[in-house]
This record gives sequence, C-alpha cells and structure tokens, in this order.
Amino acid sequence: MGLPAAGAETRTLTIEAMRFAPERITVKRGDTVEWANRDLVPHTATARGAFDSGPIAAGKSWRFVARTPGRYEYVCTLHPAMKATLVVE
Amino acid sequence: MKPMLKILAMSVMAAFVASAHGQGAGPTDPQIAAIVVTANQVDVDAGKLAKSRSQSREVQAFAQLMVTDHSAVNHAATELVHKLNVKPEPSATSDSLKKGGEENIARLRKLKGSAFDAAYVRNEVEYHEAVLDALDRTLIPGAKNEELKALLIKVRPAFVAHLEHARHLQAQLGKSGG
Repeated sequence: MGLPAAGAETRTLTIEAMRFAPERITVKRGDTVEWANRDLVPHTATARGAFDSGPIAAGKSWRFVARTPGRYEYVCTLHPAMKATLVVE
Repeated sequence: MKPMLKILAMSVMAAFVASAHGQGAGPTDPQIAAIVVTANQVDVDAGKLAKSRSQSREVQAFAQLMVTDHSAVNHAATELVHKLNVKPEPSATSDSLKKGGEENIARLRKLKGSAFDAAYVRNEVEYHEAVLDALDRTLIPGAKNEELKALLIKVRPAFVAHLEHARHLQAQLGKSGG
C-alpha cells in the first residue's frame, strides 16, 4: 500500500444506533476513511464497484484509502435502510 | 392460522404485562438479563428454521440477519452480565417467551412455500412489536444497573430496524400473493 501522501489524514466515521455518523462526509483524495463500528451488531460499508468492507464486527473498524475522486452513495448490505454518502475531492 | 398467530403475539405481550404487574415491582436485573437472552434466542431459533425452510431469497436474507443480529446482541448481553457478575434468573416471563417460541417453531414446521414465508414474517412483525413494547414499558425503565439499562437502550434501534424490515417484507409478500 505504501506510505500515505503528505497531508493525508485519517477521517473516522462511527456506526452506531443503526446509522452511519456523519451521514455525509467529504474527504481529500489520499485520505484514509475509517469506519468504527460502535454498534452491537455487524455492519458493512459498501459502494458497489468502489469499496466493500464486508461485515465489520461490533467493536471493530475498517479502513479504506480514498484514491479516486467522486461521490459515493454507500450502504450497509446487512441492513437495507442504512445509507450514507462519501465525497472524495 | 391467523387467529393463532395473533394469540402468540398476545401471549408475548401478556407475559411482559404480567411480569410488570404480578410482583408489583417488575422484573429484577437478573430476570431482565434472562428475558433479554431468551427473547434473542427465540428469534435466532426461528431464523435458523426460516433459513433452511424458505424458498425466498429475501426471506432467507432476513432470517440470516435475525440470526446474525440477535446472536450479536446476546453476545454483548452475556459479556455484560459476566462483567457485572449478574446471574440471569428465569422467570414466568422468560419461560413464557421460550414456550411461545417453541410453539411458533412447531406451527411453522407444518408449513412450506409461501404459506411458511407469510407465517414466519407475520410472526416476526408481531414479535418485534411486542419486544419493543416490553423494552419501552418494562425492561428499560425497570433496569437498575446503569450499564444494563444502557445496553437495552443501545439495542433498541436494531429492533426498530428489524421491525421495519419485516413490515416491508410482509408488504412485498402480500403483493406477490404469498
């Protein structure tokens, strides 16, 4: 994976109470996005064709390096009502 | 069929109401712990049956979700009671839940195809409604230990999501004539 680009940050979202928080986040290209599952049940962060965490167990995290700019509508594939947006600038 | 399922849901509600009024003070924390674990296990068992018996992809996915989520909640609940040194204590309520769950399984085993799906999903709707009602009226207000109370509050959104998913699925099955 190599070293993160200079100035790249890790941006953390939490998953709790069956929601992604914040529901919309904007990050810079090269940033690492971290989903921290603080809920009691497993969740995924999935944007078909772009990223798929697979099930993230309660208390665990998943990281994704946002290399490609774009607006990603993503979901939890386990819980159909859970939706959020990731914007990569 | 329908009146019997209604009776099941009513008996779940009655079990919770009886426990709230019967002893005067509502369930103790050890009793709450056993009620929560039993309530989750009942749904895990029904979900396992539906996974193996349903021919519908949507119903199977829902059933798998019930197994996954209710197992996860039970894992968290069990970890907490170990940490708090609370020993889950059976009660009339937990016994009634367990019995109701077994009766539901026995009824479902006699069905197949779309009749099975409709009965399973209908029961899931009513079951989650009853459990949410019990959380709100009896278990959350009655929990004395703050961490136990916090866990029950934390669990609630998952059950709301399950109920909405089950209702949506019920509507879908209704449309397809199931």
